[in-house]
Amino acid sequence: MTTTVGKPVPRIDALDKVTGRAAYVGDLEIPGMVHGLILRSPWPHARVLSIDSTEAERLPGVLGVLTRDHLEGIDAYFGSVVRDRPIVAMDKVRYQGEPVAAVAARDLATAQEALELIRVEYEELPLVSEMEEALVPGSPALHETNLCAEQHYDWGDVEEGFAQSDRVFEDTFTFPMVYHYALEPHTSIGHYTNQGITVWSTAQHPFLVRSDLARMFGFSLHQVRIIVPYLGGGFGSKSYTKMEPLAVALSKVAGRPVRLALSVEEAFKTVRRHAARLTVKTGVKLDGTFVARECLIYLDTGAYADNGPLVAGRAGERIAGPYRWPSLKVSSSAVYTNSTPAGSFRSIGAPQAAWASESQVDIIAHDLGIDPLEIRIKNMVSRGEEVRRGQRPLEGDPATGLRLAAEAVGWDDEAAEESGRAVSSALVTGKGLGCNLSGVGSSPTSTALVRMHVDGTLTVLVGTTELGQGSRSAMAQVASEELTVPMDSVDVISSDTSIVPYDRSTGSSRSTTLMGLAVQDGAIEVKDQLLELAALHFESPVEELSIEEGQVLCRGESIGFGELIQEEFGGVAGELMGRGYVTPRSHGGRLAQSPVFWEVGISAAEVELDVETGAIRIPHYVSVADVGKAINPQQCEGQDEGAAMQGLGHTLFEEMLYEDGQLLNPNLIDYKVPTFAELPDKLETILIENGDGPGPFGSKGLGEGGIVAAGPAVANAIFRATGVRIKELPLTPERVWRALRRARGQD
Amino acid sequence: MLRPFKLHEPTSVDDAVSLLGRFGEEAKVYCGGTELLLAMKEGLLRYNHLVNIKTIPGLDEVGYDQGSGMLSIGATVTHTALEHSPQIQSHFPMIAEAEGNVANVRVRNVGTIGGNLCFSEPHSDPGAFLLLFDTQVEIQGPGGQRTIPLAELTLGPFETCLEDDEVLTRILVPQFPQGMTGAYLKFGYHARPTLGVGVSVRVEPTTSDGEHIERAVVTEVRVAVGSAGPKAVRVAEAEQLLMGKTVAELLPGSNGGESSNMNEASRLAGRAADAMDDIHGSGEYKEHMIGVFLKRAFAKAVNTRQPTVQSPLS
Ligand SMILES: Cc1cc2nc3c(=O)[nH]c(=O)nc-3n(C[C@H](O)[C@H](O)[C@H](O)COP(=O)(O)OP(=O)(O)OC[C@H]3O[C@@H](n4cnc5c(N)ncnc54)[C@H](O)[C@@H]3O)c2cc1C
Repeated sequence: MTTTVGKPVPRIDALDKVTGRAAYVGDLEIPGMVHGLILRSPWPHARVLSIDSTEAERLPGVLGVLTRDHLEGIDAYFGSVVRDRPIVAMDKVRYQGEPVAAVAARDLATAQEALELIRVEYEELPLVSEMEEALVPGSPALHETNLCAEQHYDWGDVEEGFAQSDRVFEDTFTFPMVYHYALEPHTSIGHYTNQGITVWSTAQHPFLVRSDLARMFGFSLHQVRIIVPYLGGGFGSKSYTKMEPLAVALSKVAGRPVRLALSVEEAFKTVRRHAARLTVKTGVKLDGTFVARECLIYLDTGAYADNGPLVAGRAGERIAGPYRWPSLKVSSSAVYTNSTPAGSFRSIGAPQAAWASESQVDIIAHDLGIDPLEIRIKNMVSRGEEVRRGQRPLEGDPATGLRLAAEAVGWDDEAAEESGRAVSSALVTGKGLGCNLSGVGSSPTSTALVRMHVDGTLTVLVGTTELGQGSRSAMAQVASEELTVPMDSVDVISSDTSIVPYDRSTGSSRSTTLMGLAVQDGAIEVKDQLLELAALHFESPVEELSIEEGQVLCRGESIGFGELIQEEFGGVAGELMGRGYVTPRSHGGRLAQSPVFWEVGISAAEVELDVETGAIRIPHYVSVADVGKAINPQQCEGQDEGAAMQGLGHTLFEEMLYEDGQLLNPNLIDYKVPTFAELPDKLETILIENGDGPGPFGSKGLGEGGIVAAGPAVANAIFRATGVRIKELPLTPERVWRALRRARGQD
Repeated sequence: MLRPFKLHEPTSVDDAVSLLGRFGEEAKVYCGGTELLLAMKEGLLRYNHLVNIKTIPGLDEVGYDQGSGMLSIGATVTHTALEHSPQIQSHFPMIAEAEGNVANVRVRNVGTIGGNLCFSEPHSDPGAFLLLFDTQVEIQGPGGQRTIPLAELTLGPFETCLEDDEVLTRILVPQFPQGMTGAYLKFGYHARPTLGVGVSVRVEPTTSDGEHIERAVVTEVRVAVGSAGPKAVRVAEAEQLLMGKTVAELLPGSNGGESSNMNEASRLAGRAADAMDDIHGSGEYKEHMIGVFLKRAFAKAVNTRQPTVQSPLS
């Protein structure tokens, strides 16, 4: 009997959020709290010769100034893969906007005044703004070398594959630098004392922040407490450690809790997505069979590694697409340049990879005269097949998903018409497809605690960050379903590392799948305890008991969960606790093989193009997500639509623009993100539910897939409308107009 | 971060003018604040005294004189008030529609027409479409009041002919001549417009409903371009090329042809815009786009009974 799973039950945070009652880090008032501001480098690359903060320190109302000279006893470097990022600049600055100093003062006005009193002497260094320059021997180096990381994937013999191919295609694509633009910029309140650290922060992965802070400030884990209230969007921008060390170090010098609330501009200078240049060489048979692929990927990771090495790895894996490759050879590098560090962003490396891979699939299809849908289906891996050597076989069925997307935009009608149609003298339309496959879930490392109170209601403790994706509601649904109690009898407490049990991270589409399993296990443990108590109560073997609507039933009699707890503890007292452990060895070891599951990203777009202006309108956009089982269908659709819109953002207009190392558009007037005005006339999400996911009730995660194939779907549609292939994003009206003009030979 | 300042709330223009005179460069007029406060928060501008003119009675009024056909808009009238003013909707529908397309609803609710013109940010819609009318502006300073053409108010980006102690009080917009219709089209995907083109035109004979307009001759035409360059301008050279031509000759599109006069007018309008390279795009692209939009605005203007406007990217 299903109570809540599979139903669009209202989110448990909905009322708090729409009434403005929900508290975010920026809303918190900690007793004694003062305010921090950061002095940032005006130069993209410079040696820091001297910093004089004496005047600032003397200003009344200032409680402390943090510079490289105030880091005694602190290991000042952090980074999720390479520890190359200092809390504040040490010997040099590597990008415009890098923190150089910070001030804590009783109010922001005083802090601002103090910042202006800090004298910093710089010696400008030559700038590395392009990856091409960065890798030339003898070019200025940001770190010991400008090559941050290099990853390789190899199987089969590509040279032999190309020799056996009838045709070989080689194309180079570029992808822009983009910013996540979560509504809430990074905010942290750091509180350092000799006994330990408490930080309230906008952190997607609070437990990883905890280990970093413990190491940097010399504490053990029980002395570091990270509290994450509601988060105003993450998309990867708040993954791993970001501003927390600075807030804590500043609190250490100030001797007070310090609030550090970044502006949108500062958030733009904290993390971004990797720009990329991708060269793809593909050998095929005349019948469209893929034979060999060789890829060379460069990702611009900016001034510090952040998650760049992992992003390079994922881009390298993901550029193979959902296809069968007898031979594949990929080299994927992250390269340092003097710009905002690049890290994780919704489906790391995948939009870049799919942009190149899926654009080229259409180039090949067109050249061979094969329908783009058919060439994809022909080469697509199917259920149970190995996707990447040594990795988990595919549990889903992307071919069916792609067919559904194509059907939804009326692909067959267009195939009959061959290519684009003229709507009026200036307007043409076309349809395009894109798809990709990402191994996701990170690692199977999640724990949960399910507490049943003496009135039969539940408190579920999880380390999943509620960042708007609806995790609290999904976890509540799983617990409610398993224990047959109504949704409003379940509360979910998330993310206080001293209270909730460990979770690795909130990202990689993993929470409903892995934390969901932990919650389910915890609920089952509670259920087992209830049945044990009921067996005593009814003097009956457990096999004859069942539970329903908060009662244990036995031979036509029933007893409430709460009454059982009362019987055990005596009086109106006590509670039951259920633990959930998700580890590589748990669940019979079935989660151990990487990836936890495969997430598809499938898009179909109908595009209308004004050939005189280059402006694109999207009358119809379809995204398909394979969710195994939709715990909450409405929220699944919300996640997928959000991802699709974010994908249309980098497809149509988003791009961080640099000139001489200076970021030109770190604000929403000059950096365009999609608004309601840019919604496709019809935006559709199709959910596939085959119950084949590893999560609770056959579910698997989503939320990243929708962003992946937006670029190629739109560019492929433009090609079909006009015969013009564009290999750079974003597809701004001017870029499209220029491409059309070049094709007409007027340029 | 907004630094502390003293807010003055005068109740007459004279008081506002004398406050501005008293504090000189330390003071600035504060109206809706959608530009001023943003720039102050960013630390780009610093003033110790802000003179709020929204407290001055009468400056938020819209008046229309039926007899003279003169529309009088107070400087503190918001974009939203213009969009919804019944007088503007019935006598200047093009303005009502264009105002409904300025910025977003939050900026429209607070931002004012006076603030828009006085800030002189080049990416401005009213700066362009008001040039289709012989718009005048009333300015008050310590020496009294002066009235000048709108075209003379704007000198360039963020620069007007206003003295530090002068206040723009009123915008005077005369009705189009009998039979003239207009259209204003804007384009862009950023918050502010990339370019805007306004055309108003009178053709003879004035055709009645349903009758073909192709044979009619252009007897009066105005072309204004804005947002693309340092300031909005009228393009007399383009207007001259369109004068005296038949609609069929200028808009042969339906027969698949091209009009050399229209093409040349488009080219001249693009040139006249003095389009700049910026975050919105290259000057070259904007120049081209102004040409495209001149044709579209002209077609729209001759084909409407009432002046009208289109939304971005349409
Ligand atoms: C996100 C965004 C989008 C926008 N999009 C558009 C758009 O699409 N099209 C468009 O046309 N505009 C656009 N704008 C500009 C908008 O129209 C103006 O911000 C608004 O009209 C300014 O009015 P205000 O009353 O807020 O001016 P304020 O900010 O109060 O003042 C602006 C300047 O003018 C001075 N000033 C104001 N009134 C007077 C006066 N009566 N006499 C003398 N000086 C005066 C002030 O001292 C100040 O220097 C946009 C603005 C924003 C922020």
